[in-house]
Amino acid sequence: MEPIQASKIVGSRNTPAHASAWHRIATIACNTFREAVRDRVLYNLVLFVLILTGAAVFIGELSGGQERKIIVDLGLSAMLLFGVFIAIFVGVGLVYKEIERRTVYAIFSKPVGRGEFLLGKYLGLCLTLLVNVAVMGAGVSLALIYVNRGWDPLALTIWPAVMLIYVELMILTGVALLFSSFSSPALSALLTFFVFIIGHFSADLKGLANSLGGRAARWLFAALYYSLPNLANLSFITPAAHGEVPAAQHVAIAILYSLVYIVVILAAATMIFSRRNFK
Amino acid sequence: MNHRSSIRDGALLLTVLLGLGSVVGLSRWLDSHRRPADSKIEEEQLYLNGTTAKRISLGFNGLAADWYWMRSLQYVGRKIIDVPENIPIDGLGQLNLKLLAPLIDTATTLDPQFMEPYQYAAVVLPDIDLQQAIRITRKGIAANPSAWRLYQHLGFIYWQQKDFRAAGEAYDQGSKLAGAPAWMEAMKARMATEGGSRELAREIYQRMYEQAGDPQVKDMARRRLLQLDSLDQIAGLRKVLLAYQSRAGRCPASWKEIDPVLRALRVDLDSNGAPLDPAGTAYVLVNADCDVEVDRQSEVPRR
Repeated sequence: MEPIQASKIVGSRNTPAHASAWHRIATIACNTFREAVRDRVLYNLVLFVLILTGAAVFIGELSGGQERKIIVDLGLSAMLLFGVFIAIFVGVGLVYKEIERRTVYAIFSKPVGRGEFLLGKYLGLCLTLLVNVAVMGAGVSLALIYVNRGWDPLALTIWPAVMLIYVELMILTGVALLFSSFSSPALSALLTFFVFIIGHFSADLKGLANSLGGRAARWLFAALYYSLPNLANLSFITPAAHGEVPAAQHVAIAILYSLVYIVVILAAATMIFSRRNFK
Repeated sequence: MNHRSSIRDGALLLTVLLGLGSVVGLSRWLDSHRRPADSKIEEEQLYLNGTTAKRISLGFNGLAADWYWMRSLQYVGRKIIDVPENIPIDGLGQLNLKLLAPLIDTATTLDPQFMEPYQYAAVVLPDIDLQQAIRITRKGIAANPSAWRLYQHLGFIYWQQKDFRAAGEAYDQGSKLAGAPAWMEAMKARMATEGGSRELAREIYQRMYEQAGDPQVKDMARRRLLQLDSLDQIAGLRKVLLAYQSRAGRCPASWKEIDPVLRALRVDLDSNGAPLDPAGTAYVLVNADCDVEVDRQSEVPRR
């Protein structure tokens, strides 16, 4: 684990002091990505490739001719699961490690805002996940072409679902960062995992809110429904396995919802992190 | 120091290899001495129904459906392996496959668009639990109202039960959907006029053979087509045997005795002069009844 070098963030003595905030954020993001690569986070791709290869070779005998569907289900589910683990376990350590190793002092002694630091960290992990998801998506497409002994339309039609998986991981990364801005890594990981689970039960929360008699309980569940991310909106793995492509309007609104949600989470995380006293 | 570390590494490697060898040996001993699984436990009802499984699948419902689908194939496969006779998958009622309906039901609830389990339900389940076969197929129609193949499956179930009116209606409803082939429309009229005929059966199995994705279903349709051809052949052979019996006053002792007649009728014969069924296995001459039947080893189903 290599700490962020403060000189890299603010530039050398020759760099103008008013280097833009975006430049600083990009530097932190690149460094976070490099850290993840050095921490061998991308090694999970090897396991993924082994799973897909095994599925492509053996599933045909077990599935009664349904290997294409199963490869998509298995590939995209593994992509989501691996991504969730990376988002949670790497995400909760993003801020904590810098505090633990006291490198955060060196960073904040330079003209780097706490919001910039958090956003840089967030974007760096998002970049790691993007590489991860893109390579896995390509792996699933290649496995489909192999199983079909030639071009398979599913190799192309799965990509909107892959994109929605990535958006889901972006939300979870934000949630992990939010919890890690005020809590310990273990608790943050647990809470983020709960959000992942509840995020897929959102429809039940709404149903519960509508079916309860008491006004307070109704309000409570309605508040939970709107305040927690509705990850079911981004779940399109099963239809993708049947060659279905989500409507462009649905994808656009789902992405917009997610981006707004991410902005809210990062703003809250910055607010909490700004109040932390490192002395 | 180097020598010592080499000895240490060698000892560790030996420990790992011996340990692995012991683990394999102990596992094999445990496997060979394990008591046979209690059939009550093996056939225990599923803990989760489809709705609950879908609720807790966290967006992995497609993968969970695949799991239940493969489990149902393995469940049927295990039971078939235990039976010495080569029985087609549409005649598995004797195998007590009581978990098959819940497994297929769960798979189709988890992923209602998953078509293969519906076909499997239509082909395999009627001999085990007819009402479940109809219910699961109707559930599929409700979830996929534009899938004409599900109406084909429903028509097949009713046709097998000799409910030709219901079968005709199912084919008729399916024929009205976009993409349905022209033969679906003709099925309603054919069901009414020739519901129990061999020709209609041939067309139904031919269509099933052409469209089945599942190799087991495809194989079943192929074998049923062989059986239909075989029934035609058996009818012809019985006529030959009857003619010989009325002429000679007895049944032929072997196929050799009626060899010239069979050759004149251009029947395929083996080296012993026995007529071959459509799968290439010789028919058995049953002298006691002066009848002919399919050999037990043949691919052609006997019933």
